[in-house]
Amino acid sequence: MPSTITEKILARAAGVDRVAPRENRAFRPDHMIAYDFPGYTDVMFRQMHDDFGITELAEPERYLVFIDHMLTRGGPREEEVHRVTREWCDHYGITLHEAEGIGHQVAAELGYALPGRFLIHFDGHISGLGAFGALGWGVRRDLLEAWVTGRIFLDVPASVRFELTGEFRPGVDNRDLIHSIIARLGADGCAHQVMEFTGPGARSMSIDRRQGLCGMAMFTGAVSAVFNPDDLSLEHARRVAATPFEPLYSDPGAAYTGVHEIDLSQLEPQVVLPGSAKGANTRNVDQVAGTPVTKAFIGSCASGRLEDIRTAAEVLRGRRVADTVQLNVVPTSVEIHRRAEAEGLLDVLRAAGAAVAESSCDFCFGYQRPLAPDENCISTGVLNISGRMGSTEANIFMGSAATVAASALTGRITDPRAEVPR
Amino acid sequence: MSAGNTQNTENTERTENPLPPPDVIRGRVAWIFGDDFDVDLVIGVENIKYYDPDVLRSVCMRRYDPEFADTVRLGDVIVGGRNFGYGHPHYPPLVALRNLGITAVLAESFSPGFWRGETYNGMPLLAVPGISTAVRRWDRVEVDWRRSRVRLVDTGARLAGDPLSDRVVKVIEAGGSLNLLLAEHRAARAAD
Repeated sequence: MPSTITEKILARAAGVDRVAPRENRAFRPDHMIAYDFPGYTDVMFRQMHDDFGITELAEPERYLVFIDHMLTRGGPREEEVHRVTREWCDHYGITLHEAEGIGHQVAAELGYALPGRFLIHFDGHISGLGAFGALGWGVRRDLLEAWVTGRIFLDVPASVRFELTGEFRPGVDNRDLIHSIIARLGADGCAHQVMEFTGPGARSMSIDRRQGLCGMAMFTGAVSAVFNPDDLSLEHARRVAATPFEPLYSDPGAAYTGVHEIDLSQLEPQVVLPGSAKGANTRNVDQVAGTPVTKAFIGSCASGRLEDIRTAAEVLRGRRVADTVQLNVVPTSVEIHRRAEAEGLLDVLRAAGAAVAESSCDFCFGYQRPLAPDENCISTGVLNISGRMGSTEANIFMGSAATVAASALTGRITDPRAEVPR
Repeated sequence: MSAGNTQNTENTERTENPLPPPDVIRGRVAWIFGDDFDVDLVIGVENIKYYDPDVLRSVCMRRYDPEFADTVRLGDVIVGGRNFGYGHPHYPPLVALRNLGITAVLAESFSPGFWRGETYNGMPLLAVPGISTAVRRWDRVEVDWRRSRVRLVDTGARLAGDPLSDRVVKVIEAGGSLNLLLAEHRAARAAD
């Protein structure tokens, strides 16, 4: 029987030849990941130690912790959260990456997300690792189950295939694709399934674009998203891999709940109205063009990679952000920051009036420079629910880095195709 | 994840472990929500950082029915449409509902992240196609949650949903994943 890449990764993680959708069984993740956050890691470590009496780990190398939230205020409460995390990681021999960037990106840079690997996190944006032919699954508090037992019970998901053709036109990217999919299929269009991206359009997509696309899978109801390995992702994997890996691929004839054909060259820039990323809130940019904005943000685990920063720099090179707008740019990782600096992109953005901040999750969840009431922000963050980036009275519009940069330039939501050099 | 979660790390896992439900839940439909319902609205986005029972009681469902807290009772259920729990769900809204006696949620379908998070906390979440149009508020229901079967007491009508997996049944029976894991862990240690 032919299998999907997801079924093959899960079969390997279950130690069986084959799994089928709807089966519930225990899987052994290659890595069990968390970032430190009050109510999650502090509670989980204490439960593991006090309630379960686990004082040492048999396989500490399977655990991975990031400090990527709450880095920018430096207050005593934040420092206490981080101190507790450092102590637990030290106690258990768990590798801790602190202030190296957003963990969902750093995990890829450091070679944890290799083809065929199965990785879980309490946070669903771990799905971005699907760009590398790995399966990343956000399991919320069930991460504790994996931390204390080494395995986790899950229902094997069905897969839905997206056959992509064409290439993104200038000013259009993965953000426009995911929001187009949500507009077309609904916020539960892929519920409980894995989105699998195939076809020449998928192969034409850069790694940055693939990560950003897969990282937003949850807003279709999907549990994850994945690309089959190809030359591009295998080249990346070989460069960063510290351990051997075995790529897995979907078989011809594998079963999908459906196949959706999308021509990337036909996509329009999308803007999500304040509220949430559901179909009813998704608009072609021309329908909301002209809406005034006071804040603009390029960053997050879904955007803020080198290609996003290049795009923003192309739009803003030799120009100035509108006087009425504050543009904040946060490269997704320290490594991306370093490369963007080396390419001169950050100088271009600074010269245009942008503020470039150290890499962290803090802008995206309203921790750093929170929005004031009645502000309008255009953002590449992952979420635009009320209160997400500060005041519950502020409005958050979401779009691509190109749309955010073009809107920052004019002070109004702007179609980036008018501003991106061709 | 919200910035608001920073204040309540001490009691989160203690306030949320419910008693397991009875074999058959007998109660009434306390409210019916539409599609893509964001549960944070149960208490209001401005309140998603609170776990204090008095605070939660004072804000729970206020925007829908100011009398809600005084009229629901143990065994009552919430009904939802498609993709119930959509958004970026936080835990306090279901804590607030559970504190008032809500014992199960029946919906056309659930958002996966919400379903996983609240199943962990021991709430029976049953996907029952047709439920949102089959019932009216305060209809009496009997819910065989293990088999995902619902009987409308007043009409005798029956609806069948997707049965829970054996593992999830165990989670609910234990009053949540943490209780189940602890019991399994102690049993394994005793056997060593």
